[in-house]
Amino acid sequence: MSSRSIQYTSSPLLASRTPVWRSKFVVGAIALAFVGLAARAAYIQVVANDFFQRQGEVRFARTLDLPANRGRILDRNGLILASSVPAPSIWAIPEDVEFDKVQLKKLAKLLEMTASDLSRKLENEDKTFVWLKRQVDVDTAKQISALNIKGIYQRKEYKREYPEGESAVHVVGFTNVEDKGQEGVELTFNKDLAGHSGSRRVIKDRLGRVVEDVGEQIPPVDGRDLQLSIDSKVQFFAYQKLRDAVLDHKAKAGSVVVLDVLTGEVLALANYPSYSPAKRANLTGAQLRNRALTDTFEPGSTMKPFVIALALEKGLVRPETVIQTAPGHISVGGSTITDAHPHGPLTVNEVIQKSSNVGTVKMAMQMQPREMWEMFSQIGLGQKPQVPFPGVVSGRLRAYKTWRPIEQATMSYGYGLSTSLFQLARAYSVFARGGELVPVTLLKAPEQVSGVQVMNEKNAHAVLNMLHLVTGPGGTAPKAQTMGYSVGGKTGTAHKQEGRGYADKKYRGFFVGVAPIDNPRIVVAVMIDEPSNGKYFGGDVAAPVFSETVQQTLRMLGVQPDMAVRPQVVAEAVEESF
Amino acid sequence: MMRLNLVLLLAVVASALYLVGVQYDSRRLFTELDKARSEARRLETEYERLQVEKRAQATPARVERLAKDKLLMRQATPGITTYVGYTALDAASKGVDP
Repeated sequence: MSSRSIQYTSSPLLASRTPVWRSKFVVGAIALAFVGLAARAAYIQVVANDFFQRQGEVRFARTLDLPANRGRILDRNGLILASSVPAPSIWAIPEDVEFDKVQLKKLAKLLEMTASDLSRKLENEDKTFVWLKRQVDVDTAKQISALNIKGIYQRKEYKREYPEGESAVHVVGFTNVEDKGQEGVELTFNKDLAGHSGSRRVIKDRLGRVVEDVGEQIPPVDGRDLQLSIDSKVQFFAYQKLRDAVLDHKAKAGSVVVLDVLTGEVLALANYPSYSPAKRANLTGAQLRNRALTDTFEPGSTMKPFVIALALEKGLVRPETVIQTAPGHISVGGSTITDAHPHGPLTVNEVIQKSSNVGTVKMAMQMQPREMWEMFSQIGLGQKPQVPFPGVVSGRLRAYKTWRPIEQATMSYGYGLSTSLFQLARAYSVFARGGELVPVTLLKAPEQVSGVQVMNEKNAHAVLNMLHLVTGPGGTAPKAQTMGYSVGGKTGTAHKQEGRGYADKKYRGFFVGVAPIDNPRIVVAVMIDEPSNGKYFGGDVAAPVFSETVQQTLRMLGVQPDMAVRPQVVAEAVEESF
Repeated sequence: MMRLNLVLLLAVVASALYLVGVQYDSRRLFTELDKARSEARRLETEYERLQVEKRAQATPARVERLAKDKLLMRQATPGITTYVGYTALDAASKGVDP
């Protein structure tokens, strides 16, 4: 170290001649640069920290939507009436799409469109997004992804399936492509069925895989399942019988309502014409309407039992009291009211049995308008039925102070007021339950309920007996009889209103009845609109539907027949020869 | 002193590498878990879809059509039904007391 050492500091070459300030300047400049760095660091770490954190997160963190499943709609036995199933939607980025002729053809076939339509959809290269088809079924979607075409993607979506199809669609309703309820209970209970979607925040890697959960996740709340009071078998049979009757009688439309009188549950509510919820193109209002709840009409003779019941309540008559209905017409306030066929003297029982307008009017004219109005509103006329359904109507019952005598007379046999078939069915529960009006429900509620007492039990039974006579020999509706079960009910045949008056040859036929008569279990109301195949009386067009519906319903409810039936059971089979 | 520092340095490096490994593993496992979860969800919806399909095959409309057309059955009526009482009283009155 020492031998070859050079005294640098004493080297004349190195004797610095630069001024001191230059080195100081350099040191200062470097120090300033450090200050700049420190300031920047402080800015990033402290002042603008949030901004940079956010920018970082945007590049790897994602919020995933956790969709809630829409609740199912079940019938009273837990059978599915509506449920959501996966139905992927196919979409494309037109400029990315690459395929050859064969693939195009295959894809077009799977999407059920022509190849030219498909390529036209994909031609528009300005678009970055185009739906090819919404909600295809899962198998088709699998085949499409198997084609492995670049630029074609699938989005997870759900659609509703309705296994019962057209028979229950008026009650169940349907949802739109966004899974929002549009009709029926799908609409009224949309909130409950929909649930709340949740979300979770995750970190995704380069390949889009989830690698970590960050923050808390909100779990989705699935929609509640909804159990209706409808029995899908009763519903189907009621719909089937109604459809057959409407087609047979070349009618415009029809409705049927089946109520359980013990629990107030709606077992079936069917309308025709109907539609299939899966094919909703070209729907008309006539198909879409749930007539039993949304259409009102003049109930015609089906109102008579209530007037008679009121007459019994007021002590004006007894079931055996004879009323002179000859000569078959009566004049009230300058207008004439006639019977379809003139009858002679009739007992009150027979007035109902033969459906005499004159007899009913004679009794009604002895009452105060207020009394009649009270009876009508007590049985639910002019009031909206408390069922959760879109478009439920109240019908029309004018204030009694405005009634003229002729109006009071016509109201006694069901003209000048209006009701829906549903209200009418409910009103008849009064006779089935010994004078109690049952509260109705569309949701399953299998407990017995108590209703509002509207009339004396004895009088209700007396009217029930009259209703039974209607279906017997000499009544207006022997066709309402059904094998094994005793029934009772009232026919109605009403002229249809058209414009300001009544249409000449347009009618509605009704039948509302109760079965079995001694221990009533169900009320069935049937309405056939404009039967035009020769027959139009309620006893001819509506009563057979009633009969068949009652038969099927009571059998399915497990009610034992209350009438002797000639047994057709073969006790011992004859051995087959072979 | 020097040796200790070296040991500590090696320890730090080793621990850091281990951390990287564990983090990688945890993410890989999490990805697998997530996949399994979504598979479970997919199977659940598949199950639901099959339930609906099963139900669609067993609607009253289809059952009735098949029973009538294929099996040549007819609607049951009270006329061809034997009703059997099941209460003790019923059984006693018919002399079949257990």
